Amino acid sequence: MTTAIAAPKCLVCDTEFEVQEDWEKGEITECAACGQEHEVVEKSATGARLDLAPEVEEDWGE
Amino acid sequence: MTTADQVLLSVTMLRPEEKLLLGALRAEGLTARPLLMEDLAEVVAGRTGGPPALAVIRNLSHRDAINVSRRLEYAGVTTLNRSSVIEACNDKGLQSLLFARHDIPHPVTRHAFSYDQVRSAVGELGMPAVVKPVSGSWGRGVTKMANAECVEAWAGGRESADATGKLFPVVVQAYVDKPGHDLRVVVVGRTPVVAIQRVSDDWRTNTHLGARVQRVEVTAEIDKLCQQVVDVLGPGFYGVDLVEDRAAGELLVLEVNANPEFAKSSATHGVDVAGLYAEFVAEQLSVTATV
Repeated sequence: MTTAIAAPKCLVCDTEFEVQEDWEKGEITECAACGQEHEVVEKSATGARLDLAPEVEEDWGE
Repeated sequence: MTTADQVLLSVTMLRPEEKLLLGALRAEGLTARPLLMEDLAEVVAGRTGGPPALAVIRNLSHRDAINVSRRLEYAGVTTLNRSSVIEACNDKGLQSLLFARHDIPHPVTRHAFSYDQVRSAVGELGMPAVVKPVSGSWGRGVTKMANAECVEAWAGGRESADATGKLFPVVVQAYVDKPGHDLRVVVVGRTPVVAIQRVSDDWRTNTHLGARVQRVEVTAEIDKLCQQVVDVLGPGFYGVDLVEDRAAGELLVLEVNANPEFAKSSATHGVDVAGLYAEFVAEQLSVTATV
């Protein structure tokens, strides 16, 4: 489930994200209200699309 | 013809520390941009303009790190680190073989390809011994075999999930009685730029498991061990884990990480690891450009 609006909302608690100028595609950002991590999946001049950040996978690590 | 100042930062996702690294690369005057897995097809197809001068592999996923570095190398893109180095760093068994071949002090380590070989290796090394998956991270799956009951509990539990032994090999390692901490040394290029003690009540001292960190001096012994590692793997960006054997009073190289995390510990020790790494990348670019 993703949003495609200029100011995306947290996919868990609906709090509005402030779109940051320097966001990059693939960046992980946290909801200020509930702490849920989101991933920036699309960024444009008019806004951003967020999805829930991926869960830790078995082969992740240092 | 490459795009001379263009650096790709290959990531699984941009966590705060990869963002920090991206910023540091740009502060060095480089044109750095993230490379996500979904973008790789376009890059190796040459549909993104001129090929990048260099790719920095910073994937959190081991599988992705190998996949990206191999494919870029075959496409003619210079990578940091090379796929062969990432492969060695992501496999504790391969590392132990390299260390043994190059006389790098390392706990006695055996490969085991079956449950019986685990029992046999633990018997040979004596208890306690440590069993590790060759590719585990963040302390996952690392098990201390304190007695024969532990070995049977480990084997029984694992056999119920993996009766045919597809998850072998594992390594069986002599347990090192360390003084409540280990050392993580961050190496950039050939230089150990900072060393930290990771202190924990747990016998596993991973920061991911809650170990506290404090900066310590890079001694001549630490520097020497890091040089030995760099001599084998080549200059790069490494997290070298050292353990002190209390009985022998000597430091051993436990393992080397190709993708060390630095953001949280940088806040404690104050060394700008991202900045130093970016400087190293810029140096490598100038070398590549003059070859």
